[in-house]
Amino acid sequence: MRKPIDRVTRRTFIGSLAGLGAATVLPALAQAPAQGPILKKAIPRSGEQIPAVGLGTWITFNVGNDERLRTARAQVMQAFFDRGGVLIDSSPMYGSSEATIGYGLAHTKRAALFSASKVWTVLKPLGVSQMEASRKYWGIERFDLMQVHNLLDWSSHIETLKEMKALGRVRYIGITSSQGWRYGDMEKVMRTEPIDFVQFTYNVVDRDVEERLLPLAAERGLAVIVNRPFQEGVLIDRMKHHPLPPWAGEIDCANWAQFLLKFIISHPAVTCTIPATRRVDHLEENMGALRGRMPDANLRARMARYAETV
Amino acid sequence: MRSFPFTAEVYFSLFETYNRAIWPAQLVAYALGIAIVFLALRPTPAGPRIALAVLSAFWLWNGIAYHFMHFLQINFAALGFGALFVLQGVLFAAMAVRGGRLQRLRADQFGGAGLLLCVLALAAYPLLGWLADHGWPRAAIFGVAPAPMVIFTIGALLMLEGAPLYLAAIPLLWALVAGSAAVLLLSAPEDLSLLVAGVAGAGLLIWKKRKS
Repeated sequence: MRKPIDRVTRRTFIGSLAGLGAATVLPALAQAPAQGPILKKAIPRSGEQIPAVGLGTWITFNVGNDERLRTARAQVMQAFFDRGGVLIDSSPMYGSSEATIGYGLAHTKRAALFSASKVWTVLKPLGVSQMEASRKYWGIERFDLMQVHNLLDWSSHIETLKEMKALGRVRYIGITSSQGWRYGDMEKVMRTEPIDFVQFTYNVVDRDVEERLLPLAAERGLAVIVNRPFQEGVLIDRMKHHPLPPWAGEIDCANWAQFLLKFIISHPAVTCTIPATRRVDHLEENMGALRGRMPDANLRARMARYAETV
Repeated sequence: MRSFPFTAEVYFSLFETYNRAIWPAQLVAYALGIAIVFLALRPTPAGPRIALAVLSAFWLWNGIAYHFMHFLQINFAALGFGALFVLQGVLFAAMAVRGGRLQRLRADQFGGAGLLLCVLALAAYPLLGWLADHGWPRAAIFGVAPAPMVIFTIGALLMLEGAPLYLAAIPLLWALVAGSAAVLLLSAPEDLSLLVAGVAGAGLLIWKKRKS
């Protein structure tokens, strides 16, 4: 999450529309430090390919009923779809974010959507009704991915999710946590339950999951969604006053967002990361990480060492 | 870094929606608040019960209309906040009905400090909000929004003689927790007055209890 700039005046609104139009007509002039195809990764269970950068909605899409802010978020979604983005992730915990997504889906055009939400409550029947409420907020027929948020009452909800998947009411199921102390439980579920996805925190400075969870996900054939790629904006704030290292050009990084995201999506076990933003220009920076050369293991280690010094 | 699930801009946008939805309840709240101040300056036998009934109405309104019906849209924690506010409203209502231990409502000694807090809630808080660019309709208005209502409650409890200390537990907790959170995370400098009211109110209420 970065600094809030939400005041969309008539001038900036028209300007952003003009910018979107220009990006469509003149793609070479849009911010794209590297050309070529976007990086897609396979969901191990099915082989389905999805772009390695998705869109998170924590805080950024929780705008209540403010029509102006909803419109601004719809612009972010349109920019996301225009740049090949597919996966949007949310949760009932994120306040009005799911309603904002629904508004955005009704006001944008797209080639594809991979809808991912979560169940975040106790008791099986409450989970069922919460997932149905989420589906209505989004305005979709079914979710592509439904996850148990922060493992809350996971043993109840996992049974519901298995039933839903068997009935074709959801395509993939998974679990999430952004709390390190729950990673032991997460590992247990990854070993014992027939899930398709796991979601946890990983970034250039929070690398604990490299030890156990990422190798386990690869071993078990689980897709991995990485949350908090910028530590809720802390990493960007920390690094933006420093120049990129000269060797960042070797992996086609034009800015720190791309540096941080390429570090994550180049990990062989990672399927997708979900940076959240409320700004179209930041969205463009994020999506730029999908293009160009990616770091190999040696360069990834160098990136991690460099990040510790900044 | 842990933070609120919403930004400051969304928070004040919510106030705009809320204020427009409940208008003119704000005027009624101000009239009731000013009436309590007058009751403190010109004590009457029914004063304490009237004050408690008004405080009960304020807390119930904030629990139901603000937390449950509006703030819950952007903050799941509003469910718990609303429950606490309703509980406080019920406590005030019960005390208003019983009222046996209450002696009077007046602005003497500790009551003077309480009166100051009430004036702060009614006049200074909205001025501070306006200076911080949180004026109408994006303002937290007295009586119908938690921060100024809690400051006023602490002031009223200082003016009420014989009010049990437990009645101040939720207001003081809210002042300390919400006050510091709003100042630090929501860029709402006017809520510094909530924090100050909480700290000063806690000290004064305990001191008053020991003296009585």
